[in-house]
Amino acid sequence: MTATPAEAGSSTDGTPAILFDGVTKRFGETEAVKDMRIEIRRGEFFSLLGPSGCGKTTTLRMVAGFEQPSDGRIFLEGEPVEAIPPYRRNVNTVFQSYALFEHLNVADNVAFGQQRKKVAKDEIKRNVAEMLELVQLTGREQAKPRELSGGQQQRVALARALINRPAVLLLDEPLGSLDLKLRKQMQVELKEIQREVGITFVYVTHDQEEALSMSDRIAVMHDGHVMQCGVPEDVYERPEEPFVAGFIGISNLVEGTVTDPGTVELASGVSVSAPLPADCRPGDRVRIAVRPEKIAIDQIEPGMVQLEGTVEQRVYLGMTTQITVALGGEARLVALEQNTYRARAEERWEEGHRLTLGWHPEHCLILR
Amino acid sequence: MTAARGQALRLPFSRRGTAGRETRPKEFDRPRFLKWFLVAFLVFTLAPIAIVALFSLNSSKSLQHFDGFSLQWYQDFLNDQQLRESLFASLEIATVTMVVATLLGSTLAYGLVRSRTRFSGATNVLMLIPLVTPEIVAGVSALLLFTQLGMQLSLATIMIAQVTFSISYVTVIVRARLSGLGREVEEAAMDLGATRLQTLRLITLPGLWPAIVAAALLVFALSFDDFVLSFFTTGTSPQPLPVRIYSSIRFGVTPTINAIGTLMMLISVTTIVLAIALPRLVGRREDRTPLLGGEV
Repeated sequence: MTATPAEAGSSTDGTPAILFDGVTKRFGETEAVKDMRIEIRRGEFFSLLGPSGCGKTTTLRMVAGFEQPSDGRIFLEGEPVEAIPPYRRNVNTVFQSYALFEHLNVADNVAFGQQRKKVAKDEIKRNVAEMLELVQLTGREQAKPRELSGGQQQRVALARALINRPAVLLLDEPLGSLDLKLRKQMQVELKEIQREVGITFVYVTHDQEEALSMSDRIAVMHDGHVMQCGVPEDVYERPEEPFVAGFIGISNLVEGTVTDPGTVELASGVSVSAPLPADCRPGDRVRIAVRPEKIAIDQIEPGMVQLEGTVEQRVYLGMTTQITVALGGEARLVALEQNTYRARAEERWEEGHRLTLGWHPEHCLILR
Repeated sequence: MTAARGQALRLPFSRRGTAGRETRPKEFDRPRFLKWFLVAFLVFTLAPIAIVALFSLNSSKSLQHFDGFSLQWYQDFLNDQQLRESLFASLEIATVTMVVATLLGSTLAYGLVRSRTRFSGATNVLMLIPLVTPEIVAGVSALLLFTQLGMQLSLATIMIAQVTFSISYVTVIVRARLSGLGREVEEAAMDLGATRLQTLRLITLPGLWPAIVAAALLVFALSFDDFVLSFFTTGTSPQPLPVRIYSSIRFGVTPTINAIGTLMMLISVTTIVLAIALPRLVGRREDRTPLLGGEV
């Protein structure tokens, strides 16, 4: 329990924990994963984020050894793994369904990996106790999995997978079947456990908030491709693809045409200034992306881009109110207003009202 | 409405606590006449069996009048060497069929569920054919096959025919359990360092055990009192008990038949009870494999 990240990645020669070198996986005609090239560093909390069917679970299964890549290679701590069967790979998995052994009690479930490695009995006992303490299940050794709650089962699955101290721990949507409150709590605990044991975590999820809050880095996947890979802030604030912008958080995408350098004319006819990349030419079709929380309503500050629109829909979300504004034509923008002690956004804007939207040019992104 | 619900909720305690006092709520949603359906069903199914059992204990030879208890017909049965041979033949057939069919059926179920070949779909359907084929057709075709092959009809041919027929039962039962176990559990075992064989031994088999036991005992019971298949595939001596009874009935029903019938029923009922009870005793509460369709 005292291993620091530096110790866990004992040979600090910079070899990545996992390296995907042009990995492709085909099932018959369909390509589940396409030419994946990413490096996962040692001791990192790395998330594969994407909608269902994007290839993230397949990627995980290839690392675990349950699927073989059709093309390309996977390196685990510098060693190619294609010839190594699942039971000899130095990775362990927390399954989405937990996949606990129903006929064994908690202690035997956790001990299973160590027993296979022929670890001495008293040492296994010590390690099991240590693991159960780590996941706060001390005292439940004799319970059968069925007698535990969802969250407790989840912890058993985690302890069972961690006890062999794998080079990499794979987690396949492990919190998917827990209720919201428990999920939030387990997110924090998982992150703490990862820091404590210093093992590389590869975490598969479709929940963008979960990925943002827990990960050191995120790879956003779509349709078998890695669309973007980076730290959470980059992926959220500087999405490189329309898909990434749209999948992570709510994003407003408005079509427009570059007129002058630094200016985009929107479909509705309004011109706005925007931080255009250097290689944009007048006449290029682009899309402007702005996060809802970056949009000001009616309280326009100097230097902001300004747009007029009509309130089309108002959705009360509790802490915030989501306001959809029609700009004319097909274009729409979604803005989020905090419901503060001063005024509930809810009461300030009626459907059909005219209002002015604004944002600072540096808060919008140009996507092509 | 709320009052009724309150009463219903209290029911388990009040029944235990205040025994004897009339605390049951009126059963609004359960028509009382349904009870009589159940009674009628039980009478129709159990009456003939009860009569056979009763008359097997009759002290006279009459099949109409009960004249007092005696065990003479059981005595007769045990003294009749041919009948005794038939009983052992039937037990032998049932045992061999049980072992072989359970082995083959379980492996087939494992293959069907876990292999991802394109054949498994077709096999899944093919496997059901023995279940829906009229037994008489199965019997005739088995007989034709054995004669075509020039095989001497004997206990062996009965066993072959019955194994073929019984595999499907085992497969259906074991497959249902295996699908319920889920692939991820086996993957988890391999992930934790268990080889394929270790996974099978340590994870899959313990999970399947209740279903396998249930299937084996069911096959034993089915095989032990099977008549149609045995009739077509049996040799002359020794004949399995049901066939033997059938041929002796042609010369008149003696009370010995009642004794044999009662004994056979006891053996079958015992195995069925075991089939239901053993998995529960061996496994945990949740392990109730729905054996004979739904809750048992």
